[in-house]
Amino acid sequence: MVINFRREVSWLSAIALTLVVAGCARAPAPEPEPPPEPEPQVQPRDEAAERAAREAEEQRRREEEELRRLETERRRVLSVIGERVHFDFDKSDIRPDAEEVLQRKVSVLREYPGIRLRIEGHCDERGSNEYNLALGQRRAESVRRYLMSYGIDAGRFTTISYGEERPLMDAHNEEAWAQNRRAEFPVTDHGRIGAGE
Amino acid sequence: MLRTARLADPRQSPARLGTVGGVRAALGATALLIGGALALAPAPATAQEPERDSIPTDVRVGILYQPVYRPGIVMPVIAAPPEFTELADSVRTVILRDLDYGDRLEVMSVGDDVPLEGPVNYGLWDQLGAVWLLLGAIEGPADAATLRLSLHDVVYRLLQDVRAFELPPLQHPAFRMAVHSAADQVVRWATSSTGIAATRIAYVDRSPGGLEVFVVDNDGFGLRRLSNDSSIAYSPAWSPSGDRIAYMSYKSDDPAIYELAINPGTSSLLVDLPGMDLTPTYSPDGTLLAFAATVEGRTEVYTYNLAERCCARRLTYARFANSLSPTFSPDGKRFAFNSDRLGQLHVFVQSTQDGSAELITRYIYDQSVHNAAPDWSPTGDRIAFHGWVEGVPQIFTVAPDGRGLRQLTQEGRNEDPSWAPDGRHIVFASTRGGTAGLWVLDVVSGRVRRLVRSAEARLPDWSGRLDSTSLVGVRAAAGPNRDNP
Repeated sequence: MVINFRREVSWLSAIALTLVVAGCARAPAPEPEPPPEPEPQVQPRDEAAERAAREAEEQRRREEEELRRLETERRRVLSVIGERVHFDFDKSDIRPDAEEVLQRKVSVLREYPGIRLRIEGHCDERGSNEYNLALGQRRAESVRRYLMSYGIDAGRFTTISYGEERPLMDAHNEEAWAQNRRAEFPVTDHGRIGAGE
Repeated sequence: MLRTARLADPRQSPARLGTVGGVRAALGATALLIGGALALAPAPATAQEPERDSIPTDVRVGILYQPVYRPGIVMPVIAAPPEFTELADSVRTVILRDLDYGDRLEVMSVGDDVPLEGPVNYGLWDQLGAVWLLLGAIEGPADAATLRLSLHDVVYRLLQDVRAFELPPLQHPAFRMAVHSAADQVVRWATSSTGIAATRIAYVDRSPGGLEVFVVDNDGFGLRRLSNDSSIAYSPAWSPSGDRIAYMSYKSDDPAIYELAINPGTSSLLVDLPGMDLTPTYSPDGTLLAFAATVEGRTEVYTYNLAERCCARRLTYARFANSLSPTFSPDGKRFAFNSDRLGQLHVFVQSTQDGSAELITRYIYDQSVHNAAPDWSPTGDRIAFHGWVEGVPQIFTVAPDGRGLRQLTQEGRNEDPSWAPDGRHIVFASTRGGTAGLWVLDVVSGRVRRLVRSAEARLPDWSGRLDSTSLVGVRAAAGPNRDNP
């Protein structure tokens, strides 16, 4: 797109240069020729230039629109991918509300086979530090298996557990704990979200 | 060195309570007992041990500790030429604190008016209630001082033991550890079990870059950060030789087990199986590293041969469950570990050879049971762990066969216990007293003291006894004067 635009610009400036040179050449012979002669010569050129400019503008607009569309799509895909799922206390099984979230991910992952994810398991602060590492790992694994069970290639995921070390909310109450028991989905490879792959 | 004979010594038995010092101590113990029985009387305890910055009023309430007789020990000012006065004061301060923190002897103060010249006046010390008299002298050239300690048995009126210790200069990094070793020797002369002053505690704490491994001396001095990963460090564990610490780190994408050398603090990769590797511990003979690793989404316990740097061997098999946090028995033939295989988190004991695991913590139907972080005592008889009491973690100990469960703490959250080499003290992370930190508990008397004050200090691991020779290359003199009386 950028390259195309540059090409248009250089073409237009070439025309402008020609006009200037032509004007200069005519200057030393002012007398005999009647003025209307050069007009038709210049006229089509101007029309061509205008048409080209219009087309360029149109092209630019279309491309911008396409970009906007892609950006919107990109945002949609990333928000679906990025949506967290939550877990019950000391559990790693997928809750019904988490299942809805994961179903949306499944369709997006099918649509864009180039996307790769890291699945991060997290815990609330209540269990022992070390046990929470294992629990977070099971949560990540549980999500990975769910996605695999819908035919998404296992090679597209890595898993990691942060135990209780990366809380979302730094408070010590039920609400914070519920928020902190979660899986997160950072994208490790965006693939070609815009190109439909 | 017939140390075993000491066990039959009347001074170690209740019969000793007949002496002047013993009566005093017995009275003290009775006062303690009453204080405990009254359950809400912290004041007498505070008055009794004013040198403590914190008194375990919490643990005595409702939790039973035996009243203990601690023989009195007195250490007058160390005799030293003028150029060693400062050194002598420091040495005495360190030793007295070590003896106090050791919880086996009762440190008694001496008035300035007590005459020190001339032959030892046993009668005087006996009258003051002391059982032991520790005399120190510093001598030798300024750059190679020697500390001579002699321990006198006030009751039997004889020299118990004497030895000269090489003393590094006051500013030398090995100075404190050398004095700690000397203090441990004194405890050994008096009680026949070596003290724990020459030990360190490793733990993790928040640093600007993340969680890092720190070490601190048993007496709270010499605190320093050891790792420099700017990542998440977890579960530090001392090697038996005391010169290395294994730990888990997130510094590469795949969490793995690394090893830190103490001097200098350099970190190198130790074990990295596919998936996450966590909770390392060395076998008592140092040949194996036990740890947990992720396999098919769950964690299982493995060993790794440190001598050959190879051969990860799996020890646990529990599908759909996690097994982690292994800790060896002193003979290395069994290990305790943590597992959620019963749907609750429990401590199990298993032979390193055959695979059957025995549950040693109590299964309580339909309750949120969470028994975690086991640590097998170096003396072998108890396993410490933390378990939930109404959702709040508290420190417990239990025999390796699951008998004799005992709760040790009650105030605040108390987590991740680790035994001192004497099998009598435990360091743990606690929120008692309003501010979080690491605390040390004497499981016999119930005395506690704060070791580190820091909101995020956790996962402590107590070293074995640190021979200062292996650590800094300064020899704690193998005494030429090591003559028994």
